[in-house]
Amino acid sequence: MAPPTGTHALGPENATLTVRTGKTGAAAKAGHNLRIEVTSWSATLDLGDDPSASLTADARSLRVREGHGGMQSLDDDDKANIDKTVDEEVLKGTAIAFHCSSVQVHGDRLTLAGELELGGRRGPLTFELSVGGDGSLTGTAVVKQSGWGMKPYSTLFGTLKVVDEVEVAIEGTLGSSASTLQPGLAKGSDRDG
Amino acid sequence: MVELDHPFSNGKPTEYNWEAILDLDRVIPCVEGGRVVERTSPTSAKAEIVVKMGAMSMKFAGTVEVIEQDAGAHRAVLQVKSREAGGQGYANADVAFSLSDGGGTIHTAAQISGKAASMGEGVVVSVLDGLIKDFAGKLEAI
Repeated sequence: MAPPTGTHALGPENATLTVRTGKTGAAAKAGHNLRIEVTSWSATLDLGDDPSASLTADARSLRVREGHGGMQSLDDDDKANIDKTVDEEVLKGTAIAFHCSSVQVHGDRLTLAGELELGGRRGPLTFELSVGGDGSLTGTAVVKQSGWGMKPYSTLFGTLKVVDEVEVAIEGTLGSSASTLQPGLAKGSDRDG
Repeated sequence: MVELDHPFSNGKPTEYNWEAILDLDRVIPCVEGGRVVERTSPTSAKAEIVVKMGAMSMKFAGTVEVIEQDAGAHRAVLQVKSREAGGQGYANADVAFSLSDGGGTIHTAAQISGKAASMGEGVVVSVLDGLIKDFAGKLEAI
């Protein structure tokens, strides 16, 4: 089924934008695989005659939702500490934006090619999206941090590291008109409670 | 028991390094996350070390004591006895320094139990190796 046409606004109200990280190194078993949610972001997907897309995200809005593995489970304080580390030592509040230069539609699949702005640099990135006839949308892209000049976070004297490649995933439902999107970034709930 | 050997080099005279490694107020903070809690004698101190593992950390508290010192051979052994705060584990080590002009060697014999040891000996060796390399690096600037 072909995806719905029109211009669609996406944000925390109707979609989730998540980052999944893995761990590596001699002490990898001490660390956690993380699912981190971006809580303030907005995107527009135009599926009209001249398809286009764009996305901006607030680098200070990443919140750890789940951590698997590790010596013990993460509590809320641990998650908050990781949020702080991501903010202060990894992203440092720099702009995050996807500047799409081409949208290819193949049935219910979309390939969005463009440049990701991250850590003060721009680099090529491709998002693969799947859009159902009911408006459901899923998609992923793999971001290799070193490609943006970022050194993957490491601790424990370098024996525990975040894997260079992180997976960015978007999941939501199309249907909102872009005209209803408030200017600036859309804010989601800050925590899962 | 984990045993590791590391060199260090700081270009400083042997006597300078000899005084430095026997000064617990100077040498303990060279361990990442380590601090002197209380000096209990000229050759001993209560100390603690916080080992950060990303968001989480493990704290060990105990004593550091100079148990051997041979000024002629410039060889000294610091004994560390510590327990994991809020846990059942411990981390003990004898750290032997042999100094020569411009640096020396560090021989570490460590026994670790509890959560840290549960990660396996390979992990313990890797982390300890990283910790001592970092320590040796800081001795270069002591």
